[in-house]
Amino acid sequence: MSNINGKVYAMNAITPMKPWKSWVLRVIFFALGEFPALQQDLINLSFIEFARWVSVPRRKFPYLAHGQAKEDLRYDYLLFFSNFNGTWNQYIDAFSAVLASGLNLIWRWSEKFPGSMPVTLFKEYIARVQFDTDYYYTAYPHATANDLKSAHVVQASFESLSAQAGNYTPEEFAEAFLGFVLQVQAHLGETGEAPVVF
Amino acid sequence: MSKLNETDIQGFVLRGYNLLFARYFFLHFEEPARARRLIEQLLPSITTGQRWDSGKPQSTVNIGFTHRGLSAFELPPATMISFPVEFQQGMRARASILGDTGRNAPEHWEHIWRGDRVHAWLGVNGITPAALDARSAALRNLIDETRGAVVLDSQDAAGQIVDGRPTAKEHFGYTDGFGNPDYLGVERSTQPGQGKLMPDGSWAPLATGELLLGYADEAGELPVAPIPHILASNGTFMAYRKLHQNLATFRNYLEEKSRLYGGGKEKLAAKFIGRWRDGTPLELSPDAENPDIVKDPDRSTNFTYGADAEGTRCPIGAHTRRVHPRDAFGFNGKLIDRRRITRRGLPYGSFAGEDEQVSDSDDRGVVFMALNASLSRQFEFVQQQWIEYGNDAHQGNDKDMLMGNHGGSGKFVVQGDRSANNPPFICAHLPNFVELRGGDYFFLPSITALEMIAMKLVDPR
Amino acid sequence: MPNQNGSVYGLTILSPILDDEKASPSHDLQIRLYLSTLPTGANSPFAKSPGTHLCRLVVMDDVVYVGAPSIEEHLQSKYLVFECNLDATGEEGLEAYLRGLAEHMPDHLDAIWSHCVGYPGAADVQAFIRYMKACQVETTFFFAAVNNKSVTESLRALQTQRAVADFIASSQGMEASRLQAKFVEFAAKLKAEPLPKPGSMGPKRDIKLGGRNE
Repeated sequence: MSNINGKVYAMNAITPMKPWKSWVLRVIFFALGEFPALQQDLINLSFIEFARWVSVPRRKFPYLAHGQAKEDLRYDYLLFFSNFNGTWNQYIDAFSAVLASGLNLIWRWSEKFPGSMPVTLFKEYIARVQFDTDYYYTAYPHATANDLKSAHVVQASFESLSAQAGNYTPEEFAEAFLGFVLQVQAHLGETGEAPVVF
Repeated sequence: MSKLNETDIQGFVLRGYNLLFARYFFLHFEEPARARRLIEQLLPSITTGQRWDSGKPQSTVNIGFTHRGLSAFELPPATMISFPVEFQQGMRARASILGDTGRNAPEHWEHIWRGDRVHAWLGVNGITPAALDARSAALRNLIDETRGAVVLDSQDAAGQIVDGRPTAKEHFGYTDGFGNPDYLGVERSTQPGQGKLMPDGSWAPLATGELLLGYADEAGELPVAPIPHILASNGTFMAYRKLHQNLATFRNYLEEKSRLYGGGKEKLAAKFIGRWRDGTPLELSPDAENPDIVKDPDRSTNFTYGADAEGTRCPIGAHTRRVHPRDAFGFNGKLIDRRRITRRGLPYGSFAGEDEQVSDSDDRGVVFMALNASLSRQFEFVQQQWIEYGNDAHQGNDKDMLMGNHGGSGKFVVQGDRSANNPPFICAHLPNFVELRGGDYFFLPSITALEMIAMKLVDPR
Repeated sequence: MPNQNGSVYGLTILSPILDDEKASPSHDLQIRLYLSTLPTGANSPFAKSPGTHLCRLVVMDDVVYVGAPSIEEHLQSKYLVFECNLDATGEEGLEAYLRGLAEHMPDHLDAIWSHCVGYPGAADVQAFIRYMKACQVETTFFFAAVNNKSVTESLRALQTQRAVADFIASSQGMEASRLQAKFVEFAAKLKAEPLPKPGSMGPKRDIKLGGRNE
């Protein structure tokens, strides 16, 4: 019954939006999807494993009949699900410091959003709209997004070297091995426990 | 920004005194009225941030309080609970957050730090041992006369003197004393590399509120602070940590690994920290020490890591790169600006020459003191995320080579290149070179706040 | 299409939960109770069913009231949110994944979703897939740090990373011919290693950080 599993944190947030504003947001998301360059800052922040925004129009909550009452809402709702590495404070501090305008672009359409800077008011808002995870699973709790990216670099280099390893003379191999080490030397961090969240 | 009233801020916060002999008393207050009288009598002696334009004083005195110490003065409950959570808990309760486990766990700390009796830190610095002793005696007399406190213990610390001249060396042989941030309004001039990085590559002072409560900080707001404003403003928080150094283990480890490392012993030692042992930054001089750089404040801290993303000059996990990443995380250093701390501290214990026999059980180490507006956002964050962990630097769980709580496992990677004297190298099976022997969190109030505490005039609103 | 990012699919399911005053505890509480006992590590049912990178289950009680001048309103039903980041390409991929769930963890699916409106049970796989799709909400924007590696590839890479670091450290100073022989032996051994279990924390570290999973 935790938001945390190993090195990854599951944040859930819901914010109300006036229907005309959620339409604007959907256009913005479409643009972000079409122009990957706009995602660059998000990629460079490198502590999000997966994140998604789900805009649920007020009449589009799943309805299965069978006696279920129909929803009767005035607002559309924006659901946000993030899987990130680090502590809650660290995550929000980083976004506020570096991606404030990007955050504002997405959340300014939500009711009573105070802006992502300064950070203290922003954190209060998030605390109000965040709800808690009941069950959280990750296939690799001991690894962060950074760990994974590094691991893939090591895997690729290792496959390359081991495919050729037997074909070299010992001296050639030593040379190739040095090249391999240089390729992976910045990618060897251990995986394991996460620091305690505070 | 508002002009700083230097006479209201404790000098220890604003200045590194460069007085090489120190004694830190740890006090316990038994009774509020007597304790208040002691503070009232101490007040004229508290050294402020006023500049020493007419020469250094013989000695200085400063004071800080733990949360329990403040409650001994009968401050209102609303004020007491408005202090940040980590300060209320104290450093011992934060051990698992800080990675103070295993050999660094509180059960291994010195006696005074294992209980709840430490109420205040009284820091005395002297220009000579005699000046230090004289001041200490005077303070002891005052404490005894007023019966305002009990002295639980004291800790001596002193810089190393070599051939009659002071050095900034610590026990492992590294030259310390670089890297304290510049804050707006605090120094008369800024040194390139000390403040925050601007988009055009120049360095500007950090917002005052990163050090002092009551001033705008780097997030564009006043930092979270206790109430009332007048109690908090011009004050700051300090993390005090007594770090024992296992000198024998360090020397043996360095010796042993140097035999396999193509760059030699001094270079390997430099790779651990990011500076040669004389203080030359590896980024500026990867192959040799360079005293000219060390002596020039325009150069000694003036570098970035952008051109060394691979870590071939300064390893990605080296100490100085971990605690001050500069531009290494991108975004013009904006992820760093709120994670800086001001360090004050001195070594303790006797210095041993390179050829002298030493033992890990010899009493030596460094008294580490970090000053910051927010313990959790600054000191605790750096300790937890950048020293005992490495994810932000893309180093996974790898810890800081010298400071990390390794317990015999873990590793440190020295990135290299194809040259014979700069090969890639891994140091594994890391022992604890440094052990925590105790400490706590202290609040260093302004002079005004001290007066209010002494006169029992604190109202929460 | 927004549910897809590279080879990873972002599945968002909102299942309305049964609202029966006579149920005690209520259905949403029963789901919560069950989830609180479900293992989240290597023994998770999601570890046994293939293709799940990260997933979560959340009982969403209501929408949020952010305060005046916003209007206060409430949901008629509670919803069980299933947010899942999985290996699949396109709709066939999604169906294969859902089929995998029904085949590998039917009892768990039933225990959780039997508290939801219109749930047909996992025994009828086609009906189960239809039900999940009826509850699916389109992901508007889906971000993935790594979007081109499967769960298996990721676990393999993490295993390699650790083994390689150990090998490099232990082979320092080794002379050329011995190094080659040792590496070839190492590579063969590593390739033959079984894949690490999904959901597990990896080999135990010697020192305790005080972390949650200890």
